[in-house]
Amino acid sequence: MDYLTTNGDEEGVMIVENAQIDAVLGFHANSHREKLLIDTDPGIDDAMAIFMAFQSPELEILGLTTIFGNTSTEIATQNALRLCEIAGFSGIPVAEGSAGPLKGGIPRVADFIHGSDGLGNTYLPPAKAKKSEKSASEFLVEKVSEYPGEVSILALGPLTNLALAIKRDSSFASKVKRLVILGGAFFALGNVNPAAEANIYGDPEAADVVFTSGANIAVVGINITTQVMFTDDDLLELRQSKGKYCKILCEMCQFYRDWHVKSDGVHGVFLHDPVSFVALVRPDLFTFKKGVVRVETQGICAGHTLLDQGLKKWGSSNPWTECSPVSVAWTVNVKGVLDYIRKLLMKP
Amino acid sequence: MAAQPKKIIIDTDPGIDDAMAIFVALRSPEVEVIGLTTIYGNVYTTLATTNALHLLEVAGRTDIPVAEGSHVSITLEDKLVLASGTYMGKSIREFRRDPLIFLQKKKGLNLSITKKLRIADFVHGKDGLGNQNFPPPKGKPIEQSAAKFLIEQAKLYPGKVTVVALGPLTNIALAIQQDPAFSKNIGQIVLLGGAFFANIFGDPDAADIVFTSGADVVAVGINVTHQVVFTDADREKLSRSDGKFAQYLCKILDVFCLDVGVYLHDPATILAAVDPSLMTYTEGVVRVQTSGITKGLTILYNKQKRFGEVTEWTDKPTVKVAVTADAPALVKLVMERLMDS
Repeated sequence: MDYLTTNGDEEGVMIVENAQIDAVLGFHANSHREKLLIDTDPGIDDAMAIFMAFQSPELEILGLTTIFGNTSTEIATQNALRLCEIAGFSGIPVAEGSAGPLKGGIPRVADFIHGSDGLGNTYLPPAKAKKSEKSASEFLVEKVSEYPGEVSILALGPLTNLALAIKRDSSFASKVKRLVILGGAFFALGNVNPAAEANIYGDPEAADVVFTSGANIAVVGINITTQVMFTDDDLLELRQSKGKYCKILCEMCQFYRDWHVKSDGVHGVFLHDPVSFVALVRPDLFTFKKGVVRVETQGICAGHTLLDQGLKKWGSSNPWTECSPVSVAWTVNVKGVLDYIRKLLMKP
Repeated sequence: MAAQPKKIIIDTDPGIDDAMAIFVALRSPEVEVIGLTTIYGNVYTTLATTNALHLLEVAGRTDIPVAEGSHVSITLEDKLVLASGTYMGKSIREFRRDPLIFLQKKKGLNLSITKKLRIADFVHGKDGLGNQNFPPPKGKPIEQSAAKFLIEQAKLYPGKVTVVALGPLTNIALAIQQDPAFSKNIGQIVLLGGAFFANIFGDPDAADIVFTSGADVVAVGINVTHQVVFTDADREKLSRSDGKFAQYLCKILDVFCLDVGVYLHDPATILAAVDPSLMTYTEGVVRVQTSGITKGLTILYNKQKRFGEVTEWTDKPTVKVAVTADAPALVKLVMERLMDS
């Protein structure tokens, strides 16, 4: 007889026969589903990540909050509602976030990458469900306070809503279980300009508030996400699979893919948001470096993320010395992550 | 037929590794040092001038002129000229005697200038040369300012003069601003800086002017010079040498030792001018962040990637940036030149 011993606190020790292990793990996963909030600007690769989350029975999606970025906040909200409905999860609350960055002004919207509807000009019919009465930051604070230490957040757009939640509730940062952020470029060029990555560039002030908040943060920059892509062949394979959302995703991807060809000469699509989702559920497929990250908010390098790896002792104090460290994704198991994304998206 | 030695002007803030670099240059037949210009950085400009004169006396090369450079960063220089009509006139002597006291006394100039002059004396010792308190030099700097000297020499030998800049780039930026032809006349600007290096941080506005001037610029960054380490064993070897430069340097090296040996930032930069083949280079547009918490940050855009929008890097002139160095060869060359003296 084989034994499975868990080190969980609540379950104590379970002794089961080998053949039953899978069943027990399945049960275990269902009864202790990880609570997740997704802050998102759907967005084609956001749609992929959201569908992946819905395909993961070990997750309990508490809600989506929306933000500008790939599209305007208003369209992002409509798209979030549409995606929930398509997935058969129309009961999940969608709370609308800030229409622009903390400092005000017109938000930067990348509709030339994601289409005027944010979803690759697929022009889906409007959703029947309505958005939540609460604002995104209100909703984030409420859910995190309801289950302190239990809620993880996946942040896929500019960090305005998260910064507002931190400002609204000073204990917010400490109550979040884990915050996984897609953003920044670490020791690599940005994608808006050589200095900055789009999500951080969208609201540098907010990003600096979040990175220095003391929350348990893992950040996945484009230096990682641009290593993971679906080629044209992968997209074809996806289209021909029996995956529940493959057809619609492949339709959206056409516009996105054409932009990649034009911009980077890449025949395929980068999987920024799906990779960040994997960093949340399978951190073992990454290595991380711990250090203080600050964001430049002024000048030609506004939106630049700078990690102090702690390799050098500085002669005097600087804006990094007093801040809490975060985990910055450093390497990625590309094959492992691709396999995981394929598996979830091709699941019927 | 041997090639004509390359004429070089060293813009310097000596500084122990500057001293090493100057000695290496003086011992390198590939180059002819036609002048030193001074700048703040390791020490205040006044002391940099004194030290430059002192080092030339140690080397027995008092024939080489020393031109004193700017005391403050380029934006402060502008403010000073505006705020104080006498700054360029008679009170300059008072200013040079002690810039900080002078600036503190001046009304309307109490803009925490003390903080803005970033002086690295915690690394180099108070006099910049390891607190040796050498006797004052007999020589004097020439009347010309560093910027004027640079402009004149570049005009005199168009395309033939290389400036090796070992400190903040204020003098070079002033030359670019004062003479529109300078960036064309100057043969090459080899500079030490990049990747949060103190030299860029010392005057980021000047650095951005130099990087985007269109001159033939070669930047040697800390990522490269950090590979070039002078170990305790090298030092011991140097101390056994009879060379007068070797002996002198060993004396002042005492205060300069870090746990991992000494980084040869400045000598490595000099050697990039002496023998460019010791490094490999990439080419691209470099811009410098001039404000905020990452002030002094340099970002290189090598045009491999395209952007959807026009950026601050678009359509700017490119520079060369050293990416790798043959570190053993560089250290060996430094040792050879210093011991053979």
